[in-house]
Amino acid sequence: MTTMDVAHPTSVPSVPAAASEPPDVGVARFHGSERRFLGLLVRGSLLLAVTLGIYRFWLATDVRRFLWGNTEIAGDYLEYSGTARELLLGFLMALALLVPVYALFFLAALDAGLVGTLSGVLAFLVLALLGQFAVYRARRYRLTRTIFRGVRLYQTGSAWRYAFTSALWWVLTIVTAGLALPWGTAVLERYKLRHTHYGTLQGSFAGTGTGLFLRGIALWLIVVGPLLAGALFALGAINWGALAAALTGSGDDLTKRLADVGFELAAAAVIASSALGWSVLAAALLYPVYRAIVLRWWISGLRLGAATATSRLGTGEVYRVYLRFIGYSILFGTLAVMLIGVALAAFGGLTPSFGKSATSEIAAAVLFIATYVFIMLGYSVVYQATVTIRFWRLSFETTEIKGLRTLDGVEARGAAGSPFGEGLADALDVGGL
Amino acid sequence: MTSSAPATYFDGKTSARQAVAVELDPAALIIRADDGPVLARWPYQVLEHLPSHDGVFRLGLAGSGDLARLEIRDPAVAAAIDELSALVDRTGGVERRGRRKVVFWSIAAVISLVLVGIFGVPAIATRLAPLIPFAVERKLGEAVDPQVRAMFGGREAGKPFECGTLEDEASGRLALERLTAKLEAAANLGIPLKITVARSPVVNAIALPGGIIYIFRGLIAKSENVDEVAGVLAHEIGHVAHRDATRAALQAAGLSFLFGMVLGDFVGGGAVVIAARAILQLSYSRDVERAADLYAVELMAKAGGNPRALGAVLGRIAGSNDPNLRILLNHPVTGERIALIEQMSAATAATRPLLDAADWAALKRICGGR
Repeated sequence: MTTMDVAHPTSVPSVPAAASEPPDVGVARFHGSERRFLGLLVRGSLLLAVTLGIYRFWLATDVRRFLWGNTEIAGDYLEYSGTARELLLGFLMALALLVPVYALFFLAALDAGLVGTLSGVLAFLVLALLGQFAVYRARRYRLTRTIFRGVRLYQTGSAWRYAFTSALWWVLTIVTAGLALPWGTAVLERYKLRHTHYGTLQGSFAGTGTGLFLRGIALWLIVVGPLLAGALFALGAINWGALAAALTGSGDDLTKRLADVGFELAAAAVIASSALGWSVLAAALLYPVYRAIVLRWWISGLRLGAATATSRLGTGEVYRVYLRFIGYSILFGTLAVMLIGVALAAFGGLTPSFGKSATSEIAAAVLFIATYVFIMLGYSVVYQATVTIRFWRLSFETTEIKGLRTLDGVEARGAAGSPFGEGLADALDVGGL
Repeated sequence: MTSSAPATYFDGKTSARQAVAVELDPAALIIRADDGPVLARWPYQVLEHLPSHDGVFRLGLAGSGDLARLEIRDPAVAAAIDELSALVDRTGGVERRGRRKVVFWSIAAVISLVLVGIFGVPAIATRLAPLIPFAVERKLGEAVDPQVRAMFGGREAGKPFECGTLEDEASGRLALERLTAKLEAAANLGIPLKITVARSPVVNAIALPGGIIYIFRGLIAKSENVDEVAGVLAHEIGHVAHRDATRAALQAAGLSFLFGMVLGDFVGGGAVVIAARAILQLSYSRDVERAADLYAVELMAKAGGNPRALGAVLGRIAGSNDPNLRILLNHPVTGERIALIEQMSAATAATRPLLDAADWAALKRICGGR
């Protein structure tokens, strides 16, 4: 939060700029064809299936090359210079670290004493922390493989510090039922952006937690508020003494005894579950609003040297993205059901004793796995071809960048970072793009 | 082609964009500033084609870490450079050949992983299981024990999971102890068995690693005589003798390691791993159950009980459609098993029940009256 009072580039020339002088304000563009992106994803997913996922390093690299390579800022295209080989290497490095860790947790879980009981919790904590560490280091890899005008981006800062800060804010977020989330997000984004560099330019983040809180509090009140109120009301309404007596008492039927506790328990259950139903429904309907608020806030907070960004992302556009996803999902779902129906009919016709003999049992299980993989990969393709690419496009094209000229005379700094973080994020399933 | 063509050059030291003219010399590409001086000379054999937007032919220097970039928008010039440089791969042909190799070897690796999963892991687990000392096995069993209690227990609040611990169940416990002693003596395993009747309506019995056996109340209720209960216990003792539970634990660990860890996770791959494991274990359990049945028949004969009783109780359970029976029905092909038990027991003469009528009546009431 130090160097961003940059509403005006101070070096605006007093004489009119020459005709060749590039403009100082601009919008980034994305030129990728969605059809080609879809083709890339479909081909990649087929290869994922036959290689049991080993192809993912190549697919991820292709996707990034496509997204980066088709993004134009002030007349020049970004370059993703990472390779699949590096991602594979990073995964192997992560494996070298995680295999002994998993083995230790496995051994600890076998212990019948306190260690064994606590091992699950401990494993969760260690892996969650390691996951945040990986997120930070993976970002470093991605930044150092991002090249613009022959100069790379890079990231400094400590991944451990980021991981512990993130863990702390997650605890606070959970304790406050989500109210601390804006401040936590702001702290983490500030840390990331302050340690982001483009050559000699340092990034920063101007968004504040309070700003995000004010934008999002209405959503919180609609989605989380009733749930919290319902839960509190239910807790207060129950006759705890009678309930305890019913649970510990003797007699035949627990259900009957619980029914005897009476009206309060039933009423509390009804109120709590209807509050939950409301929250789930509201969360599903308002999720695009939430995405739009966070994305607008985040993009508008980005600073790189004297360059600033302002997002004009419309909430309606985000709804359109998700509606398109739902539409194509239904289309894909219908096709999948028809295909599976045909496959089952063919299979059932071949073996009349379906499910009886050992071979048909195994064949049925193989068919089940194939179906499962087909559906999962299919939905992943639909999601990326509708949501991922549109968000990428919208994020760049609805953003106005001021102070573009500061990007012109930047001196190169930084070196390529290790792919270890990417591998770790992949192995722990916390990876982004 | 020796004439010059316009291009954009970034020198890798600053982000300044320079409009340049590119000349294709016989040995190298000459990058010349608009006003004349040569900025760089890039020999063709170190050129690298870098990913970019379709309309931009982006070149860099291979393997140098140098970020200098030359961007050419004229396709004819791009094609000419591609011709001159062996490393430049404008149409992606070299890349595609590399990919094909990756895909081929990935499939080969997958095939060998699956083969190791089907044949290698069980073989290793079979060799390894007998080497594990009893104390370790018992510990393993005790680690699994809470999960069994969580899964099957808690249906009758206020009563312990183990039957035979309450006051009115004491005579049932004594009967169970007498039955256990007879079977243990006949089996002569050299390790102590811990047989417990569990307060759960499920019609099943399970053997954990380390000789811990649970027989559920539901199965005793379904049994018509003591030899049927003994037959089921003998089958579970067979699992203990063959160390099947320990082996299954080793197999599960090995398989989850093979598929989960080595291959990592792709979109929901975890579920696929579990499903794959279930299939593989299904094929193990076929042989394993048969072996335990054979053991049960022999043990019952040795103990002086009726070996056919196991087949009788299996048949009764398979014929019913009580939802509590689902678990036993998962055991493969009950009809096949009953036929085998019948065939193995063919030589047996008439036998006497392993417990007298009074003890059998007490055992029936081990989980309280009713």
